[in-house]
Amino acid sequence: MPEGKAAFREVLPKQGQLSVEDAAAMVLCKPKVLPLKSVSLEKLEKLQRAALEAARPADGTPPPRP
Amino acid sequence: MGLEPLFQAWSYFRRRKFRQCSDLCSQLLERPPSEQEQPESEYTAFQAAWSLKTRALTEMVYVDEIDMDQEGIAEMMLDENAIAQVARPGTSLKLPGTSQGAGPSPAVRPVTQSGRPITGFVRPSTQSGRPGTMEQAIKTPRTALTARPITSASGRYVRLGTASMLTNPDGPFINLSRLNLAKYAQKPKLAKALFEYIFHHENDVKNALDLAALATEHAQFKDWWWKVQIGKCYYRLGLYREAEKQFKSALKQQDMVDTILYLAKVYLRLDQPVTALNLFKQGLDRFPGEVTLICGIARIYEEMNNISSAAEYYKDVLKQDNTHVEAIACIGSNHFYSDQPEIALRFYRRLLQMGVYNCQLFNNLGLCCFYAQQYDMTLSSFERALFLAENEEETADVWYNLGHVAVGIGDLNLAYQCFKLTLVNNNNYAEAYNNLAVLEMRKGHIEQARALLQTASSLAPHMYEPHFNFAVLSEKVGDLQRSYTAAQKSEEAFPGHVDTQQLLKQLKQHFAML
Repeated sequence: MPEGKAAFREVLPKQGQLSVEDAAAMVLCKPKVLPLKSVSLEKLEKLQRAALEAARPADGTPPPRP
Repeated sequence: MGLEPLFQAWSYFRRRKFRQCSDLCSQLLERPPSEQEQPESEYTAFQAAWSLKTRALTEMVYVDEIDMDQEGIAEMMLDENAIAQVARPGTSLKLPGTSQGAGPSPAVRPVTQSGRPITGFVRPSTQSGRPGTMEQAIKTPRTALTARPITSASGRYVRLGTASMLTNPDGPFINLSRLNLAKYAQKPKLAKALFEYIFHHENDVKNALDLAALATEHAQFKDWWWKVQIGKCYYRLGLYREAEKQFKSALKQQDMVDTILYLAKVYLRLDQPVTALNLFKQGLDRFPGEVTLICGIARIYEEMNNISSAAEYYKDVLKQDNTHVEAIACIGSNHFYSDQPEIALRFYRRLLQMGVYNCQLFNNLGLCCFYAQQYDMTLSSFERALFLAENEEETADVWYNLGHVAVGIGDLNLAYQCFKLTLVNNNNYAEAYNNLAVLEMRKGHIEQARALLQTASSLAPHMYEPHFNFAVLSEKVGDLQRSYTAAQKSEEAFPGHVDTQQLLKQLKQHFAML
């Protein structure tokens, strides 16, 4: 940081009209803290996944034709 | 020389090796009857094996009934238990606006569809908020995550009915239609296991209710356990007042925490949170320091948008049980959204120390680290979160939050990529559409921004951001009429938003001048 008076000097207009433009800025959606899952929810999801797996025909069987 | 097979099966059961237990029991049950000893006592070894197998099969698919709750559109809208169309302030869970305590502002804490701030913990019943009106319920886009069954009879309960398919590939173990329920009701020891099997494994509430009714008659209405089970069946069938009667009668006979929790669940379904609160508080007089009761109070306050009281009760929970994941997570997220990421970080770190190891936790750690200016940990946490993500929705959430980190460090290119990746993983991510639109707008691409915002607002009409942004954008290009409608929607979603109000005022002035 240079020393002395010449370094930086703020400019404040003392005469005339001061105007501040207040444009509404667009807003971002907020970051999301993710909720943790309860044990029963995890178990439910596990069961559902397993049920889906069981319902799905095994690999190699041809898909049913309409 | 091996173990006695029945004892071996019992041992498997105790060690929660249900598959082995069930297989061994099947072998025992298939033995020819001559090998089985003659009945000396009331129960034979054959019956013991049968009972053990029902219990093992039940345990395989058992989910705590207290936590199980899913309300379908039909139950919610055709609610014949509602007393008043518009509830008095602070007495209903349905209208988030009726809370007395000031909830957090949506400008800080994102809200769910139903206008409730997002929570730190999800349970089956909190998973898909309650839309307030039929219109909202139907309008809500049916994405993979928000899809709600038409009735609970068509929802999870039935899908879980395929449980029998899981545990018994070659047909059901017990053929319910050929069962003589009256005979089993005479034998209380078998009947209890059989009931749980019918209720949890087969999900056949009607038969379960029949059995319970017969059994409670056999017990001369003196067994509180059967009353609780009948109450559970009534609850599933939607007969809440009858369920309430059963639970109350059971409580008179035997004071149990479980029964209190079931009864409170009935009151919550009847939308009487205040009654449920009183019930919990009375319960706490009889069972001082009971964690589930305190936690129940905290949940109700949280659902009623009274976050400060909820936090108090969650702290009480932690005083009794300092490893309570739900309480820690909720307090953590509260701190994060009240501008104290450092404290939130400590709570989440505590969870990590306790052995919780999943995508959500690392994502939260990453966010807290970033906002607490611990930059060294941020990216590695997010990396871990991405690695641990189990499905595309979770990956999308992590990329979305990474996008915020990128915005925070000013790397808009990276942010753009992150939000794009969010959409690749989950095409219905309204927040990412909105944020992409903001970035596009900065680049001066008005048309793209407009399209993205329209997508965002149709996907998530409950968020104020896309509406507000659309209003700002339209105002900029001179489309005042559209700007006005969008601003009105934004005000509806977030009445206290100052910028929206200013914009509306400006627009009204414009219109007045015309």
